[in-house]
Amino acid sequence: MTRSQRIATDVFASLLAHKQRTVLMMLGVAAGVGVLSAAIVISQGAEERIMGLVEKHGLDMLMVRAGGEVQVFAPQSDRGLATLVESDARAIEDEIPGTELVSVVQNQRGITVVHEDRSVTTRAFGVDADWLEIRRWGTAEGEFISETDMAAMARVVMLGAKVAGALFPEGGAVGRTVRVNNDPYTVKGVFIEMGTDAAGIDDWDDRIVVPFTTSSRRLLNRPYLEQIVIRVADARRVPETAERVRNLLRVRHGVAPGEQDDFFVREPEDIENAALETASTLSALSMAVAITALLAGGMVIMNLMLAAVSQRSHEIGLRRAIGARASDVGRQFLLESLFVALGGGLLGVTAGIVVAAGLAAAGAASSRVTWVPFAIALVSCTLVGLVFGLYPARKAARLDPAATLRQRAA
Amino acid sequence: MIEMDALTKSYRKGAAVTEVLKGVTLRIRQGEFVAVMGRSGSGKSTLLNILGLLDRPDGGLYRLDGTDFSTATDDALSAARNRKIGFVFQQFHLLERASALRNVTLPLLYADDEPDDGTERAKQALAAVGLSDRTHHLPNELSGGEQQRVAIARALINRPSLILADEPTGNLDERAGVEILEIFRRLAGEGRTIVLVTHDASIASRADRTVLLIDGRIADGPGAARAAGLLGDPVAHE
Repeated sequence: MTRSQRIATDVFASLLAHKQRTVLMMLGVAAGVGVLSAAIVISQGAEERIMGLVEKHGLDMLMVRAGGEVQVFAPQSDRGLATLVESDARAIEDEIPGTELVSVVQNQRGITVVHEDRSVTTRAFGVDADWLEIRRWGTAEGEFISETDMAAMARVVMLGAKVAGALFPEGGAVGRTVRVNNDPYTVKGVFIEMGTDAAGIDDWDDRIVVPFTTSSRRLLNRPYLEQIVIRVADARRVPETAERVRNLLRVRHGVAPGEQDDFFVREPEDIENAALETASTLSALSMAVAITALLAGGMVIMNLMLAAVSQRSHEIGLRRAIGARASDVGRQFLLESLFVALGGGLLGVTAGIVVAAGLAAAGAASSRVTWVPFAIALVSCTLVGLVFGLYPARKAARLDPAATLRQRAA
Repeated sequence: MIEMDALTKSYRKGAAVTEVLKGVTLRIRQGEFVAVMGRSGSGKSTLLNILGLLDRPDGGLYRLDGTDFSTATDDALSAARNRKIGFVFQQFHLLERASALRNVTLPLLYADDEPDDGTERAKQALAAVGLSDRTHHLPNELSGGEQQRVAIARALINRPSLILADEPTGNLDERAGVEILEIFRRLAGEGRTIVLVTHDASIASRADRTVLLIDGRIADGPGAARAAGLLGDPVAHE
């Protein structure tokens, strides 16, 4: 065994021999780490809840609609409907930070889709390849349109569940040919059933989707958009991102201050945002409390170790007398701090996780137990043990053995 | 083995400076059993600490086994203490929650040439002081005399050439004290150099010779000692 190993073994034996003293010191760190672990578990649960809300309610999506406050149903001649273009979408993607995905959207009603002797009139959408991801919708059969389809202005079409059901009652739509406004298109996929929107107005299953390049050049033959949809990287940043988008578009469209915008940026509903805020605040608050508790635990260790150095001055003097170097003594006390911190950490993590699980069971907070709290707790209590043990260890090493041994103890 | 020439040592406490050793000159040969006598406050412990390389003199020369340690590093001093010197203290200074065996093996912790037979050596050392049947006892399960014997065994484990004892019987009753001194006599007989510090003449008389520390200096002869009120009877030994 090396010198360090021998010292470490001796420290371990001493800590075991002085169980009460050791446990007392461990409690300080245990409390701090316990709070930290509980906070992490709660925090992770809160993060999960946030993600769930975001996904469920589309809280990370911004929708830019052409035409100001004017409804999309209004007549074509209304001012502003023809001003939203593809370069706006690219500008948003490039110039505004936090915009993860952006897709253009064209849509138009009254498009006929024919298969053999069946025909429907439905609404057609022309979109980018990212659109499906942004809307978090899915395909029941086949695949969504790809970048290659976009590049090739391919005549491929996605069918909504109702359209597919009407044209292909026996199923098997994928790969077949349909005529869209008299042009032959290949069915690339069928959407899952999605029902209607919250207001009950839009029937999401009654639609077809083609690549934007196809819709703008072939099907609808016009460049301007009805919408731009945007996925924002952090749902909590939606309001500021929305404002940035508005400012960018005002500049691009030459909207003067005081003039009405020729577009409308719709943000997700406020109620869900409030829930996001709460979860977020809970997360941040619990971490702040935890770090404070951990620092407090470290202070406890430091003070107890300082007291120990004073109390054990004779032991220190003796060890020096029998051949310990100053560095050996320093190492001994630093290792004591470290071992105590690690032991306390282990205790604290266990307690913290139990508390968090209890809170979850009581419905007070959601929680998810992973290896993350263990890892963070281990690292933090090692740091605490080292940092707060350093000062007492140095004090011990600097103790003058002659002075301590000269004292006549009781 | 021990050469001291005009050794001085002072302590500073705030603005006050106390001269404790004012020029100690001393020679001790290998294998001698020497008692250093003096009243409390005469600097005996300071002298012992310097002898034991726990403290450095302010002035003068100290050579142990021919080596001058005045410019040695802390690491070198520690190594020398570990190998060459064994301490026995008045208060024993045993680790409270460690067995006799663990206490005796403590110096091995700091010995870089780690012997394989550490535990064996410890058992032998305990046997040498008559404690073979107490190896696993804790200090609070041992009498004062037994505790001091553990301390002596500890001092012996690295086979040092010099043993320094500071009032080793000070915390013991008379009978235990006699037993301890018997052990020292026996160790002296085996050829070890022993320096024992005491204020008690009857204890000093068990050594080969006595050296008197009066007012920070080594005094000559029993006459001076009596004059200083240290001795009731003449120092009679040999």
